[in-house]
Amino acid sequence: MDISTMVFLAVVVALAFYVIGIFNRLVALKNRFQNAFAQIEVQLKRRHDLIPNLVETAKGYLKHERETLESVIAARNAAASSLAAAAADPGNAAAMQSLGGAEGALSGALGRLNVVMEAYPDLKANQNMMQVSEELISTENKVGFARQSFNDQVMAYNTYKQSFPQNMLAGAFGHGPDASLLEFEDSAQIQAVPKVSF
Amino acid sequence: MDFFQAQDSARRNTRSLVFFFAMAVLSLIVITNVLVMVLFGFLRTGEQGLTLGVIAAQFDWEVFFLIGAAVSFVILAGSVYKTIALSAGGPAVAESLGGRLISQSTTDLHERKALNVVEEMAIASGTPVPPVYLLDNEPGINAFAAGFTPGDAVVGLTRGTIAYLSRDELQGVVAHEFSHILHGDMRLNMRLIGVLHGILLIGLIGYFILRSVRGGSNRNAGPILGLGMGLLVIGYAGTFFGNLIKASVSRQREFLADASAVQFTRNNEGIAGALKKIGGYAAGSVLETAEAPTMSHAYFSTGVSSFLQSVFATHPPLDKRIRRIDPRWDGFYVPVTQEVDDSAQAETSGADEPAARAMHTASGVIIASEILDRIGKTGPAQLDYAARLVKEISPLVREAVHDPYGARAVIYCLIIDGQHREVRDAQLQRLQSLGDSGIRELVDKMQAAVKSLDVSYRLPLIDMAMPAMRQLSRPQYQLFRKNLLFLMQADKRIDLFEWSLQKILFHHLDAHFGRPGKRVAKYSSIERLRMHVAALLSVLVHACVKDGTEVQSALESAEQDLGLSGLTLLPREEISLQTLDAAVDHLALLKPLLKPRVLKACLTVITRDREYSPNEMELMRAIGNVLDCPVPPYAG
Repeated sequence: MDISTMVFLAVVVALAFYVIGIFNRLVALKNRFQNAFAQIEVQLKRRHDLIPNLVETAKGYLKHERETLESVIAARNAAASSLAAAAADPGNAAAMQSLGGAEGALSGALGRLNVVMEAYPDLKANQNMMQVSEELISTENKVGFARQSFNDQVMAYNTYKQSFPQNMLAGAFGHGPDASLLEFEDSAQIQAVPKVSF
Repeated sequence: MDFFQAQDSARRNTRSLVFFFAMAVLSLIVITNVLVMVLFGFLRTGEQGLTLGVIAAQFDWEVFFLIGAAVSFVILAGSVYKTIALSAGGPAVAESLGGRLISQSTTDLHERKALNVVEEMAIASGTPVPPVYLLDNEPGINAFAAGFTPGDAVVGLTRGTIAYLSRDELQGVVAHEFSHILHGDMRLNMRLIGVLHGILLIGLIGYFILRSVRGGSNRNAGPILGLGMGLLVIGYAGTFFGNLIKASVSRQREFLADASAVQFTRNNEGIAGALKKIGGYAAGSVLETAEAPTMSHAYFSTGVSSFLQSVFATHPPLDKRIRRIDPRWDGFYVPVTQEVDDSAQAETSGADEPAARAMHTASGVIIASEILDRIGKTGPAQLDYAARLVKEISPLVREAVHDPYGARAVIYCLIIDGQHREVRDAQLQRLQSLGDSGIRELVDKMQAAVKSLDVSYRLPLIDMAMPAMRQLSRPQYQLFRKNLLFLMQADKRIDLFEWSLQKILFHHLDAHFGRPGKRVAKYSSIERLRMHVAALLSVLVHACVKDGTEVQSALESAEQDLGLSGLTLLPREEISLQTLDAAVDHLALLKPLLKPRVLKACLTVITRDREYSPNEMELMRAIGNVLDCPVPPYAG
C-alpha cells in the first residue's frame, strides 16, 4: 500500500463519515419537527375538548339556534379527525392542508356562534361560559405559538434538505417531498387577536 | 465518596478506559495480521500446502505496520465520529433508541406520573429538570440516563416501566438514574459508547463486504469472502473486549446507584419492588431495539440477554442486587400481570398540607461545611420538600411553566420589577411591542401569582421551566433571549439574583440551541483563573458583606479556602455583566476536585456576617447550578 492508496482510502473514509453525518442530521431535524407537532396536537386536542363544554352551556340559552350549534359540533368533529390523521404523519402536505382547512372551518363556525351569542347577554354573563371562553383564548394563543415553533422547525428541515449536497442524498435516505408548513385558513386572524371573545 | 470525588473518579475511570482500549486495539491488530497471513498463505499455496510454517513465513514487519495503521485508523475514526455525534448530548442518544419526548402537557396518567416523579427528584437534588423520553415500543421494564452534565441530561423510561411500576417503585428507578447523573456516570457512559463504536466498526465493515460479495458473482470472490468473514469474526472479538471493558466499569457503578437510590428516597421497598417486578415479569428488562447493545451499560437493569452472563453482564445479577437492598427478601419475584392504576393517585391534586417552610436564617459557620457535603446528594427530606413545593405553586403558574408558551411568561414575571413603576412600564412596553402575541396579557395575568411566591420558589421554577424552554424553536429562543436581557437591564443595574437566574437559563439553553459550550474540564489549577475568581468574589463581597471593615478579613479567609494569595477585589463599577459571565463560564471548567474550594470560598464570603439568609441560600444554589455542582434545597 503506497501513499496514494492511503490518501485515497482516507478520502473515502472521510467522505463516508460526511455522508453518515448528513443522514443523522436529516433524522435529527425530522425528529425535531415531529416533536414540535406534538405540542400543537396537545393544544388542539385541548381546544376540541373545550368545545363540547361550550356548546353544552350555550344549548340552554340558544334554543332556536340549533343549526349554528350543530355546525360547530360538526366542524369540531371534522377537525378532530383531521388532527388524528395529521398526527400520524406530521409534515405531510395533504394532511397539513386538511388540518389547516378543518381548523379554519372550526374557527369560522365559532365566529358565527359568537355573532349569534351577541344577542344573549345572559349567556355572555354565565360564569361557566366566561371560563370556557377564557380557556379557549389562551389555548388559541398556545396553538399559535406552537404552530410558529413547528413551522420554524419544518423550515430548518426543508432548508437543510434542499441545500447542496444534501439534495442529492435526501431522496435515497428516505426523505421524500418537503415537509409542509401548517397554515390556518384564517391564520392572519388568529395571529392578530384571538376572535373567540364573548 | 462525595460528589466531587465521584465526579473525579468517573474521569479517572475514563483514563483506565483508554488503557483497556489500547489493549483491545493491539489485540485486534495482531488478530488481523494473523488473518492476513492465513489468507496470503492460502493464495500462495492453495488449500493443501497450508501449514503453520507457511503461514508464519508470510510475516512481514512492513505489512504488520501497514495493517496496524489501517486498523488503528478505522477504530480511531469510528470512535471519533461517534464521539462527535454523541456531543449532541442526551437527546440524540434517547432518540437513537427510539425514544419519544413526553410532552410536558400530557394527559396520559402514566406519563404524568413519570414527569412528576422526575421533576420532584430534580428539584430535590437542585438540578434542572431533565426532559423525559419514553420508549413506546419497549414492553420491558428498564430505564437509562444520558448526557454529559446534569444540565443536558435526559432520562429515558420504557413503556413497561411507567405502566407496571407503582409510583414508589418508579421513584426508586428514577433515583437510581439520578445517581448516575450526579455521579458523573453518564459522561463515562457516553465516552464508552464512542470508544466501543470504533471497535464495532471493524465487524461492520466485514459484514458489508460479505453482503456486497454475496450480491455479485465474482469468480475471485473466495479471498474477499474470507476477508469479510475474518473481519466479521474480528469484529466479534472486538465486541468481546468491548463487553469486558463495559462490564468491568459498569457493575460497581450499579451497586453504587442502587445504594444511592435508597439513600435518596430512604425507602428500600421502592427500588427493591421494581427489581422484583423485573424478575417476575415475562418481558423482564430486555430492550428490543437493534441499538440496545450500544447502551447496555447505561440501563437500569440488564437490557441485553447474553450467554456468558457472569463475565459480560453489565449489571450484577438481580437477586444479588435485591438482597443488598432488602436482606430479608424471601426469594420470590413479583409477577406482573396488569398495569398499575394511576388514576387513584390523583397526580395533579392540590396541596394537602402547607409546607412548613424551614427557611429560617441559619448560622453560617456551622452550615458551610454541611452544605459542601450535601452537594450532589439528596434525601427524603428534600424529596418531600420538593413534592410539597410543587403542589404549593398556584395551578395557574404550575401549568404555565410546563408548556413552552407559558414558561417564558413565568420567567419574564420573575425578572419584571415589582417596585419601580417606570421600570416596569418600560419592561411591559417591550413585551407588548416585541414579545410574541398574547404574552403581555399572560404576564399581566400571572404577575401577581409569581411575585407572591417566596424567594425559595424561584430557582425551582427555573428548573421546572427547563424542559418546556427546550421546546422553543431557535428564532423563538433568540427572541426570548433578547427580551430577557432587555428586561434585566431596564433598571440599569445588575441584581445578583436576576443575574444568576439568567445565567442558569443561558448556561443550559445556549448549549441546547446550538452554541455548544465546552464540556471538558480543562483547568487543573485555580491560579490560572485568579482574575475570574476575583471577579466572582468581588460581586459576592459587595452584595453580602455589609460591614465595610469586614471586607478585608472576608477576602483573606476566602483566599485561604482557595489556596491563593494577593487577590484584589474589583470595585463595584468595574464589574460588568460580561466579566461576571466570563468568570463563571471559566470556573465551570475547573477540574471537579478544585470546585469545592471555589464553592467554599463563595460560602465563606456569603456567610461572613454569621448568617445565611434564604436569599443567600438561593444565590449559593444558583452558583452551584451554573458550576454543575447541584446544591439541594435546604429542607430543615
